[in-house]
This record gives sequence, C-alpha cells and structure tokens, in this order.
Amino acid sequence: MSNYVLLGTNAHKDLKVITARSKNYGDNVMHAMTFPMEFRDVQSSYPIFFCKDPESGQFYPTALFGLEQDQNLFLTEDGWDAAYIPMMIRRHPFLIGYQADSEHEDGKRPVVSIDMDNPRISESEGEPLFTESDEPTDYLKASISVLESIHRGHEHNKGFIETLLELQLLEAFTLEVTLNDGSNNQLSGFYTIAEQNLHQLDGDTFDMLNKKGYLQAIFMAVASHSRLRPLIEKKNALLK
Amino acid sequence: MTSSENLKSIVIVGGGTAGWLTAGIIAAEHSANGSESDGLIDIKVTLVESPDISTIGVGEGTWPSMRSTLQKMGISETDLIRDCDASFKQGTLFKSWKTGGNDAYTHPFTPPHSYASTNLAPQWQRFSNEVSFAEAVSSQNALMFKDLAPKQISTPEYAFHTNYGYHLDAGKFAELLRKHCVGKLGVTHLKANVVSINSSADGDIESLKTDSHGDVSGDLFVDCSGSRALLLGEHFGVPFCSKGQFLFNDTALASQIPYVNADDPIASSTLSTAQTAGWIWDIGLPTRRGIGHVYSSGHTTEDRAAQELLAYITATVSPEAAASASIRKVPFSPGHRAKFWHKNCVAVGMSAGFIEPLEASALVLVELSAAMIAEQLPANRQIMDVVAKRFNDKFLYRWDRIIDFLKLHYILSQRQDSDYWKDNISSSSVPDNLSELVKLWRWQAPWHRDTGHIDEMFPSASYQYVLYGMGFVTQDSTTVRRSDREAHSVAEGLFRENAERTKKLLASMPTNRELIEKITNYGLQKI
Repeated sequence: MSNYVLLGTNAHKDLKVITARSKNYGDNVMHAMTFPMEFRDVQSSYPIFFCKDPESGQFYPTALFGLEQDQNLFLTEDGWDAAYIPMMIRRHPFLIGYQADSEHEDGKRPVVSIDMDNPRISESEGEPLFTESDEPTDYLKASISVLESIHRGHEHNKGFIETLLELQLLEAFTLEVTLNDGSNNQLSGFYTIAEQNLHQLDGDTFDMLNKKGYLQAIFMAVASHSRLRPLIEKKNALLK
Repeated sequence: MTSSENLKSIVIVGGGTAGWLTAGIIAAEHSANGSESDGLIDIKVTLVESPDISTIGVGEGTWPSMRSTLQKMGISETDLIRDCDASFKQGTLFKSWKTGGNDAYTHPFTPPHSYASTNLAPQWQRFSNEVSFAEAVSSQNALMFKDLAPKQISTPEYAFHTNYGYHLDAGKFAELLRKHCVGKLGVTHLKANVVSINSSADGDIESLKTDSHGDVSGDLFVDCSGSRALLLGEHFGVPFCSKGQFLFNDTALASQIPYVNADDPIASSTLSTAQTAGWIWDIGLPTRRGIGHVYSSGHTTEDRAAQELLAYITATVSPEAAASASIRKVPFSPGHRAKFWHKNCVAVGMSAGFIEPLEASALVLVELSAAMIAEQLPANRQIMDVVAKRFNDKFLYRWDRIIDFLKLHYILSQRQDSDYWKDNISSSSVPDNLSELVKLWRWQAPWHRDTGHIDEMFPSASYQYVLYGMGFVTQDSTTVRRSDREAHSVAEGLFRENAERTKKLLASMPTNRELIEKITNYGLQKI
C-alpha cells in the first residue's frame, strides 16, 4: 500500500531515494501509462498500446514491458536494460497531488507528495533530496520536472484520447503469442490504433490532428508495434 | 393506397414507451424522413401523440433484448443510464412463492452453463439437497443475491459478463426515445388529438382526423393508444379475449418509495414476493424503488391488498416510508385482442393486450412486435394481408406461451393459505398445453425440443429455472441413455467451472450502485 505525504524540507531533510531498478523496488510492472510527449523515446524501446483504467474505464496510452502481469522483460540483474525509461516509472516514489487553491485556475494547485512506504525510501543509501543548505538537490529538481511533465501529459492525454475515440481510431485486439517452447500466451485487454479507419480520414481531419499535435503521436504508436517482436524474443530468451 | 402502390408512410398513434419504441425500431431499419434518393424512397414515420392524455408506464423492467434494440437505434447506453434513472437487471428473484415462508429462488437471464450442449438438470437433481439448481448451473444467481452488477466500468456499452436488461423510469425512457427518434432518426412528431377516423371504400383507415393538424394520412397505422385501443378496438371492433380464467390478477397498487439512505443497495433483480392473493414487485432504480402489489380482486379486497403492500414497505424499507407512501390504483383486464393486425392497422403495446408483469413481458412484446413490423414491412397493400396473418399467428402463439409460462409459477406452489392459491391449481384454470408439459416434465427434464419456435420468448432454460427453483422433481430415467451417460461424465467438470466462475465474478463485479455511479461520472466506453 502507498502512504503519500506532502514533501517538506524539514520533514524529509535526511531522506534519500534509491534509484536502482529492480523487482525489489517495484519495477516488475507489465506496462505503464505514457504520454504523447514521450512517444518518440518510448517507441524506440517499447510497443505503445492503449488500455482502460479499471476504476474509471477511461483509456490511456501505455508502454508494454512484459507479456503477463508483474512481468517486466527489460529488468535484468544489472537494472533496466533500455535506452529510455518512461516518466511514470521514473516518478516513483513521488506523486503529483493537488491542494485546493482558489487563486489557481482549476481551484487546485499541483503539489509534490512522496510515498513513505515505497521501498526506494532510505536514510542510508541513494540520492539525497535536499542539500546541506536545505536546497533541493539536482535529483529532486529533475524528479519535480518529471512530475510537471506528467501533469501536462495527463491533460494532453485527455484530449488525445477523446479525439481518438471520436474518430473511432481505437480498436481492441488480442495478441496470440506462441513461444519457442510451444506454449500459447494471449495478451488481451489492450487496444491499438485502428489503421483502416486512420487511412480513411480526410485531409481536413489530418490537418486538425496535426495542429493539435496528435498526428505524430498516432504514427509513433503505429510504428511502435515493431517493438513487439523484440519483446517476444526477450521472453523466448528466458526460456532457454 | 391502391393494392399495388408502394407502402411509403406509417402513422403511429400514441406517444408512450410503446409508441416511441415502435417508431424507433421501424425508423432504425427504414430511414424515416420520407425523402427520396437514388430512386429509392424512405419510409415516412409519423407519431401522433395526444397532448391531453398522460401516458402510463407499462412496466419498468426490460429483457436483455432491450440492449440490442437500443444499440440498433443508435442510443448510447451511457445516456440510457444517466437520463432514464436506469439500473441493471439480471433476472427475477422470487420470494415466498414455494411455501409462503422464507423460500427464494432466481430466474437469471443467463442460461445454465453449457446449455447449448449439455442438460445439467438431471445431473443436478442428484445434489438437489445440497445446492439450488440456479446456484449449481448459473454464476448469475449469486450476483443477484448480492445486488452486484453484470459488468464493470471497463466493459464496453451493451457488453456484459452476465446477461442483463434494465430497470428504468418508463416516463423518462419515453422522453429519451422521443428525442432520439425526432432528432436522429427523422420521425415526425405531431401533437394532436385524433377526433375521428376516415375510412376508404375497402374499409382500410385512410387518414386520422385530428384537432390541430388536419387529416393525417398513412399506408399503415400502428395503434399504440394503450388499453383503449383507439384504432383496433374502438374503430375496428376487434374483440378482446379475457385470460382471467388462467391468470386471476386484475388490479395493481403502485407506489414509489425513496431509499432510506442515498447509498442503500440497488437490487440487480426484480424482486417478486408472493402474497395471499397476488404478489408484490420491487424494482430498484438509482433514486427510488418502485413497489407495487398486483392481485386478484376476486380473491381479496383493495384494503387488504393495500395492507399487505404497506406491511412489505414497512419490513423492507421503513415504517416511515410506509406511512408516507402514496398509492395509485391501476385496474386492468388480463388478456389480449383476438387479433393484432387487421386491415392496415396493427396494435402494439397495451392496445394489443396486457397481463400481470410477472416476467416483465410488456416491453419485450413491444420490441418483438415492432421488430417484426420493421422486418416484414409489406411492400404494398396486396401483400399486407399475408404479413398480417403471419403476424397474428405468431403473436397469438406468443400470448399463449406467456400465459403458460406465467401460470407455471402458480401451479408449482405448495401454498394453500388462501382460495387464491387453491384456485390457481384447479385444473380448469390451467391451460391444456401447460398441463401436458408439466406431466411430461415429471419424467424428463425440459430440453431444447420442448419449445416449438426458434425465436421462442421463454426457452426451455427458463422453464428449468422456474420448475427446479420451485422444487419440482423430475424422475430419474430408468433406462440407460447415451446422452445421460455423456452428461454424467462432464457434469462434475461443468459444475466446478461454474463454481469457479461464480467465485471470480463475486470478487470482481462492482455493486449495482457503484457501477451506476461510475457511469454517471465517467460514462461507459463504446469499445
């Protein structure tokens, strides 16, 4: 379970965060939410699909790391073997939370929280959050900047998904994978860009998608499918 | 309309759920705005609604068929849930029907596990002392007892884990249908009173004289005017056939009761609780419960019926709710017209007939009638009589089967606490077809061939649920049968599969209320 508290200089002065990548630190996730702003980096390593939040049924784009629950095929003895790690993974143990603030446009203000029950939290090893003079360290500054990007990413995802649904550009798919040992694995519950519908859009719609910054993201998601093969190969390699 | 002229225009009289459902189903199949393109004509659909007559909601429970009906019309399920105060219905939970005590059983919408290939009923009978039939063969039974939903927020619109229909506010439903029919499907809506009917020389209806829109002419007239049956009954004089000799209930006392707490569970079944001379329905909508007593006026008085209704409300809601309940009396004649399609007029809804809502047959009959009209819409007048005859044969058969199936609930009861229950088992009150079937089922469990039609309203699975839910016993076969042996060899595995699926569903399905609240907040996805 998580135990998020507001991050404070006094309360968390001596806190450190372990940045190593391992199952012990909760990195054994099958997939993680991603955002069009990082699609360029994500698609170079991972397939990008779409899935539903089980709590709300709302769609979000997600980067696939494994073929079953709790499986991350990029995790090795030496850490996370990929050129890019998605922001929603890098954010831990921080979270962007909201405080009521009448001066802010939505009546709420984003604030930084930290999960005190996260196994990354330490007092002995890892990156410190604050300097001797109580200033945020570069590590904390970088983490906050990730949170800010995630905050913008959530907003961007909303419009992106709405547009995809409106244009019927998402479709469910089931991936049947036969591994080298002959076992059949089924990946279901994921959605992908409906390419047939995409190719039938008219010029004005493409223009709209382009202006909103969605067009590139759509094609990056399509291109990312080529990362599925290497993912399956990783799984096959484990069978040996 | 001469005999070879194309049928171009349909006029529907009446704007309740029957009228708007019929309009929507026909308009969804035939473009309804009467325009012409590529030499093909669109059918024009006009609905004439009296501004002076308020509609009475026939039934607030639907069958699962309503999902595909609405989907074909292009209505979003999210809109239905949000706009019609709708909740999910997984079947009916019958209480006190067997003995009058605390007995309860379900008739779920999902057929028994593996029903297409294996008859589990005889296999279950060996364990009938340990587990109820519905629990052994259906994972929906457990969801119904726990007020759980048939799907999750991530399940797309109209898709499901367990089959379902709806409970809804009939008035709001008619309004949603009206908006959709007029706004999206091109149905013309006229608010006018029908003053008289203009006939052509051959006796067909030529047009309706209205008070505010002059003469409204059409090629086919659909009578959705309610039990008054303005066209089929009053104008054409097609006689009414009472079925009161089989089904005694002829009066309903209806009330709407708010929940005690805003987060009280919303039942995901229609609750039907047997009384001394009738039964009480209890239908959970998100904002209120519809509770009513339908009874036989020949067996009890209005006062006694009201007392039983208030006692039920006191026990299941609160004494305060009973004290402030406002009760509306709705008398009705159980039965139907001798035929439904006469000349160029067809009756749909209460104008065709009405029977107690024990299995919520009112709205599904509207759907089935409108769907057949839409599908078999005669191209011209000369073939209309052929379609009419087929329509009449089909729906007379359906009424007979509805009466059989409803009556089945009564004749299996062990209740002897009133003349009502005693009279219900007297042989003169049981249709011959039903007597024969029940005799047959003493020796063999209902199975696919026991029902005559491919589009049967109550398949043999429904008969199984009611028979074995009521404690009916079918004798074991005394001879060796290959199908029994085969069923025996797979039964244990199927029972186990069902138990595992039940466990999974119990752990993963939200409550009916949780799901409805999520749909209100987020909506359901279309995919």
